[in-house]
Amino acid sequence: MRKQFWKTIPAVTALAVAALALEPVRAQSPATYKAPRTPGGHADLQGIWQVRNTAPALDLERGSAVIVEPPGGKIPYLPKALARRKKNFENRATDDPLKKCYMPGVPRITYLDFPFQIFQTPNYTLIAYQYIHIYRTIFTNGSQHIDGLDFWNGDSRGHWEGDTLVVDVSDFNAETWLDASGNYHSGALHVVERYTRTGPDTLEYEATLTDPKVYKQPWTLRLTLYRHTEPNFRLLEYECQTDSDEQAKAAGKP
Amino acid sequence: MRVFGWITTAGAVLAASSWLAPDLSAQPQQSQQPQAQQPQQRGYGTRSGEPPRGPRGGIPSGTPAPAVGNGGEPAFFSPGPPHVPGGPVKRGPDGHPDIQGFWNAANDGGAVFEIQNHPTARPGIPPGRGAIVDPRDGYLPYMNWAAAKAKSNYEHDLAAEPELHCYQSGIPKQMYDQFGFQVLQPPGYVVMTWEFMHAYRIIPTDGRPHIADDIKLFEGDSVGRWQGDTLVVDTTNLNGRTWLDTVGNFHSDAEHVIERFTPVDSNTIKYEANVEDDKVFVRPWKIAMDFYRNTEPNYEQMEYACIEGNQDIQHYTKDKGGAADVKLK
Repeated sequence: MRKQFWKTIPAVTALAVAALALEPVRAQSPATYKAPRTPGGHADLQGIWQVRNTAPALDLERGSAVIVEPPGGKIPYLPKALARRKKNFENRATDDPLKKCYMPGVPRITYLDFPFQIFQTPNYTLIAYQYIHIYRTIFTNGSQHIDGLDFWNGDSRGHWEGDTLVVDVSDFNAETWLDASGNYHSGALHVVERYTRTGPDTLEYEATLTDPKVYKQPWTLRLTLYRHTEPNFRLLEYECQTDSDEQAKAAGKP
Repeated sequence: MRVFGWITTAGAVLAASSWLAPDLSAQPQQSQQPQAQQPQQRGYGTRSGEPPRGPRGGIPSGTPAPAVGNGGEPAFFSPGPPHVPGGPVKRGPDGHPDIQGFWNAANDGGAVFEIQNHPTARPGIPPGRGAIVDPRDGYLPYMNWAAAKAKSNYEHDLAAEPELHCYQSGIPKQMYDQFGFQVLQPPGYVVMTWEFMHAYRIIPTDGRPHIADDIKLFEGDSVGRWQGDTLVVDTTNLNGRTWLDTVGNFHSDAEHVIERFTPVDSNTIKYEANVEDDKVFVRPWKIAMDFYRNTEPNYEQMEYACIEGNQDIQHYTKDKGGAADVKLK
């Protein structure tokens, strides 16, 4: 059996129940809301954020209404890419990389139902995720993508467009999925994320995915992240581990 | 068939479904990865016959490793780039030392292999004095039962080494893991990220209390404060599932660590950790080591995938030529 670390759950549960008891924060228009500033003068995105819409993690296309482009809410797969999509769906119980405790990739990490914390310094924006202690260092120092390597979570380079942090994510491997139902990409994936404060406790997240090997055209998902405002709320740990007989199998033992 | 509970932070079982155990032999070929593609080679105790990889900025990959022990096993550890003496300690806008940047534990006592004194070479482990400065003899002040357990860990249970299974390292082991770490000081925090095992520590410096006692974490709960120019970090809530080194020295969930980070110049931090654990040790003990700044221009940490292709466990088991009985936990 997959070992989840149950001891973290009671406290998280209490905090999350407290969060759910609050009325949803109504997002203000980005045009009218002016985000607080960091010492460097940029919009301050810092805080602990989490989705409340848990549907996209299961299936981006059905019931989640997060795909805003193209109209219709469907991923514009190339015809030749649909067979793999179908196979993924049929085998999702075993083939979903998350079932093997693999890193989820971008943008999937963002809409998993776990909190993450954003930190900003002049040269870096750091996102620390509770989910299997992943972090992403987003370079905002003008540096360029690395050539010739690929990564589970891609290589993230950011810049500011007004009060929006725009993150260009490239150099992905082809091993991650976009949700639990088998929506996928190739190693040619290129993601542009946009993080915009829309209110004191809301952050709009947008990701545009381009992958000419799998999609007919770029497509965009958009969702709202909510800030945890409970006093002393902090990230805990969510560890994922295959169990000992699987390890024994890996070690060549039955 | 097995049951997988998908646990959300709402504490609800969102979906519980039966699923077949993944056939590990059918895992997709790992793609080109700087580190994940390899068996999890951490540069020491490597038994696969391939040259260990050096981290970028460290000893170049393929650098001959000293042969030690009767078996001529390669021992390898990259201490990072050479230490460059620095200028005055920089200060942040809050007046506290600015220790942002990339650092490597000097590890000159070989604590990454074994935290306590180890004057005799063993397979894969060169001799060293470890990092323990109190007690002065450099040995952990174990209770009798705990000394026996540590010995048994080494002799029979090396395959249970937590890092071998891609667990986080715990405190203080995290600080002397290799491949170094980055420090960021956003307002109200000191944040550390490691390339190794993509671990991080978020240390608030705003005076907040520890989390509730019944929450236990691999990395514990850390709170920090500045005492003059020394960052003092108090860590509790540790889960007792981590080791202090690679050879079976251990602690319990009663562990309480107080660390002191004192920058002495812009490129050098004096580090001390005082460890109390009244379930395992007869008295508190202390380690000390230096952290050196990595001054390589434009250095960046890479992504370290571990569980995504971990074959390291094979290097430890008897059927694969290793020393350990297969006794997995």
